[in-house]
Amino acid sequence: MTRPDTRSRRQLALMLAPYLVGLVGLVLLPALVTLALAFTEYDLLRPPSWAGLDNFVGLTEDPIFRVALLNSVVFALVAVPLRVLLALGLALLLHRRAVGVGTARTTVLLPTAVPEIAYGLLWLWLFNPLYGPINQLLRIGGEHGLTVLGRTPPQWLTDPTSARAGIILMSLFTMGETFVVLLAARRALPRDVYELAAIEDATGWDVFRRVTLPLMAPVLALLAVRDAIASLHFTFVPAFVVTDGGPPPYSTTYLSLFVYQTGFEYLRYGYAAAATLVMMVLTLAAVLVQWRLIRRYRGRYLS
Amino acid sequence: MSGLILDGVSAAYRDTTVLHEVDLTVARGELLVVLGPSGAGKSTVLRVVAGLEPVTAGRVLIAGRDVTDLRPGLRNVSMVFQSYALFPHLSVAENIAFGLEVRDTPRREARQRAHAAAETVGCAGLLDRRPGQLSGGERQRVALARALVREPDVFLLDEPLSNLDLSLRAEMRSELRALHDRIGATMVHVTHDQTEALVLADRIAVLRDGRVEQVGTPDEIWRTPASSFVARFVGSPAMNLLPADGVLRPTGDAPALPDEPLELGFRPEAVTLDAVDGAPATVDRVEVIGEDAYAYLTLATGHPVVARVPAARRPDRAAAVRVAVRWADAHLFHPATGHRFVP
Repeated sequence: MTRPDTRSRRQLALMLAPYLVGLVGLVLLPALVTLALAFTEYDLLRPPSWAGLDNFVGLTEDPIFRVALLNSVVFALVAVPLRVLLALGLALLLHRRAVGVGTARTTVLLPTAVPEIAYGLLWLWLFNPLYGPINQLLRIGGEHGLTVLGRTPPQWLTDPTSARAGIILMSLFTMGETFVVLLAARRALPRDVYELAAIEDATGWDVFRRVTLPLMAPVLALLAVRDAIASLHFTFVPAFVVTDGGPPPYSTTYLSLFVYQTGFEYLRYGYAAAATLVMMVLTLAAVLVQWRLIRRYRGRYLS
Repeated sequence: MSGLILDGVSAAYRDTTVLHEVDLTVARGELLVVLGPSGAGKSTVLRVVAGLEPVTAGRVLIAGRDVTDLRPGLRNVSMVFQSYALFPHLSVAENIAFGLEVRDTPRREARQRAHAAAETVGCAGLLDRRPGQLSGGERQRVALARALVREPDVFLLDEPLSNLDLSLRAEMRSELRALHDRIGATMVHVTHDQTEALVLADRIAVLRDGRVEQVGTPDEIWRTPASSFVARFVGSPAMNLLPADGVLRPTGDAPALPDEPLELGFRPEAVTLDAVDGAPATVDRVEVIGEDAYAYLTLATGHPVVARVPAARRPDRAAAVRVAVRWADAHLFHPATGHRFVP
C-alpha cells in the first residue's frame, strides 16, 4: 500500500475529528479522571484529597461490595448463556418463511424497543405478588392463593432468590438484538449443507449438533462476549427501578447499582471510582478469557 | 432392471412449472448426463430424484422402489453439489464419514470406510485437512468420496466440474468416467457443458424448458439430433441452419423431399469452401484456434454460415468463396416445430 498523501490524510483527520473529539471528551478524559479519583477521597464539596490505595483496601473489606460483586458474577454466569440460548432457540425457530413468522419476530423484538425505565415499571406491575399477571397465572388451578402444586407463588420483590431470578427474567426478554444477529447468521448459512444433511438422513438433533451449532459458533461466541460486557448494564435499570437493590440483604445490589449509590447517593466519588475500576478490570478479564476460547476454537476449526 | 425411473414427473417452484411430465429411464450402472442451457430444469431433475423438491405429478422409482413420497434420507441416493457443500468445521475424514456417522455406523467402521472411499478417488492424503485448506480439485474429490462412501443406489452430480478451471475440468472429467467404470454405479450427471456430456455419458438427455428434447447416446445426439434445438445446442460453434429451399443446394444423392418448407442444418466441419459449383459467399471474419480456423461467412442470399477449415488453408477476410456441403452431412428439420424431418 502506498502512503496516503498529505491532502488525503488531512481529509481523513478532518472527517475523524468529530468522533475523536467525542471519544476524548466523553470517554477518555472521564476514564482518566475516574482513574485519578480512585486514589482520592472526594465528595464534590471539598477538593479531592490523596488517599493512596485506601479505597481499594476499603473495597476488599466492604461486605456490600462483596455482595454486589457476587451478585454481578452470578447474574452474568446465568443470564448471559440463557439470553444467548433463548435468542438462538427463537432464531432457529423463526428463520424460515411461514405464516405468522413475521409477527412472531416482531414480538420477540418488541421488549427490546421499549424504553428501559418504562420496561422496568412494566415489570414492577408484572411482578406484583398479589395482582401481578405472573402470579395470577401461576395461581390458576390452585386454591387459597396457592399454585396447583399447593405452594406459595414466588414473592418476586421481597424474597431474595425470587428477586434475583426476577432480574434475570427481565434481562432475558431484551435479547432482541442478539436474536436479530442470530437470525441473520442462520439465514446466511449455505442451504446446500442442510440439503446434504437431509439426503444423509441426519435427524434434527444431529443437524443442530453437527451442522448448525458449529457453523454458528463464532457468532454465538462473539455475542456471548458482547453480552458479558453489557451484563453490567443489563442489571442497572431493573435493580434501580424495580428492586432498588433490595430486598435485604442487598439481594439485587449489583456492581453498577453499587457504584451509582456510592457515588451519587452517598457522594463518595473516590470510592465509587475505585469500584468502577475493579468492575472494568473484571469485565476485561472475562472478555480476555472468552476471546482466548474463541481463538482456540478458530484454531481448531476454521484454520 | 432400472436404476432410476422418472415417470411423467412434473415439478413447480411456487406457480412456475419447471418440469413438464419428464420421462427418463436410467439403467443400473449407467451414466446419464442431463444436458441443457441454464433454466432448463436440469438441477430440478436431480432435486426431484433426491427428494429435495416435491413432484406435482408423476412417480420416481429408484432401484425398482417407488420413492415419490419418501423423504430424502430414505431414498438411498448420494449427491455431489455444485458448491461441494463440504462442512467447513469438519476435517476431510469427518466430512466423508458424515453420512455414516449420522446413520449410527460405529466410528471405527465409519473411519475405515471413509479411508477406503478417499483412496478410491485419490484424496487419502488429505484426510486430516479442513476444506478451507484444499484446492478446488481436492474439494471436488472429497465431495466425490463422501458420495461414494455409503454405496447408494444412485449418484446425483449437480454440475460438479463447473467450478474447476479448464485443464482440471478435463482431468476430472476422465477421472469421473474411469471411476464410474470401476464402481459401475448408476449416475445422473447434470451439466450445461456439451463437451462434458459427450465425453462422459453413456446416454445424454437434452432438456429444454423443463421438457426432455431427446435422449440418446452421445453418437445419436451428435449424428441424429431430434430437433434443431439439440442440433444447435450440441456442437461449438453451433450447427448452421438455413432454409432448405435452394439457398444452398447440398451435393450428392438428395433424399425425397416433401412439398413443404424445411430447414437445412449442417455442422461447420461439414462445409467446404472451394467447391466449383458451390454457393457464393464472402468471408466476414476468421477466428484461428490453433490448428483450426472458423470462417464466418455470408451467403449471397444474406444467410450466415460458419465453416471450420484447417488454419493453414483459411481464407482471407472479405475473400469470395464457394460454399458446399454434402447431403450425407446434412440434417433436415421442420421449421415450425423444430423436429427432425425423417424422409
